[in-house]
Amino acid sequence: MNRDELVSYIPDTFKDKVQLLDTGRAEPFFLIKAENLLEFSRAIKDDPKLHMDWLSCVSGVDTGEHFEVVYSVASVQTKIRFDYKVVLAYDGAEIESVQTVWPGANWHEREVWELYGINIRNHGNLTRFLLPDDWDQGHPLRKDWDAPDFVRMPEK
Amino acid sequence: MGIIKKLPVYLEKIPGGNIVTTSLDFVFSQSQASSLWYLLFGTACCAIELMATGASRYDFDRLGMIFRASPRQSDLIITAGTITKKMAPRLRLLYDQMAEPRYVIAMGGCTVGGGPFYYDSYAVEKGVDHIVPVDIYIPGCPPRPESLLEGCLALQKKVKRLKMNDWS
Repeated sequence: MNRDELVSYIPDTFKDKVQLLDTGRAEPFFLIKAENLLEFSRAIKDDPKLHMDWLSCVSGVDTGEHFEVVYSVASVQTKIRFDYKVVLAYDGAEIESVQTVWPGANWHEREVWELYGINIRNHGNLTRFLLPDDWDQGHPLRKDWDAPDFVRMPEK
Repeated sequence: MGIIKKLPVYLEKIPGGNIVTTSLDFVFSQSQASSLWYLLFGTACCAIELMATGASRYDFDRLGMIFRASPRQSDLIITAGTITKKMAPRLRLLYDQMAEPRYVIAMGGCTVGGGPFYYDSYAVEKGVDHIVPVDIYIPGCPPRPESLLEGCLALQKKVKRLKMNDWS
């Protein structure tokens, strides 16, 4: 399945649950709703034409207006690769864990929780991951984060 | 260092004893300066330059500097590379394990004052002198081996000035 077939196949299959984003990148980028996350992830893995068996990365984004969680998936069998993301409001940002689909999501989700403070439901092991063990200064990749020795780049 | 520190005190009372004291000072400080064994401690790209300086072209060995894998055998720690806040307690532990007299060379912009990670970084310690006392600062990103050798020669000069009474 090439890119053109993919960008028509996924909206055809999942109807209004997905929306193709115009990013100009080689790989397609889809936007989905947070409540459909687990269902969508399960479906693209089980679909025999897609068979997305490898979750290569889960990234957090703070755009300054809202959070985003980006899932980069690939398939070893069908050689397909694409990304999808969910948009979350700042207040009570929370998302379902996709570990039941890809167990490898565990560490990625811990990182997203630690650096952005996005709560992961049903994760099971949301503990300190990359930051120092005695870290108590919150979630440092948030745009509004600050600390006593943190120096922001001056405006040009 | 208890006996050696008291040695000058007793020698001063003997006529001509200060000649022995100054001669011993010379011997001790020359020996120390000519055998500054450094700890293998490289945390980022500065370590590549440190390795290059230790290898045959620049040859640390002609200054009597040999790398040691244990802090117990080291006189010198060259902080070659970025020190993150997570690494800082480990560096302090290594420094505390070294026997005195011990010296620190801060190599590269990151350890001098944060370097390229000064702005917008939550993870990097802005200057290794927040953690351990530093004797010589070598700027550069990373410094060339010539700079590192210059820094080591400067440290040798500093070590040669030390008297027995200065030892803690």
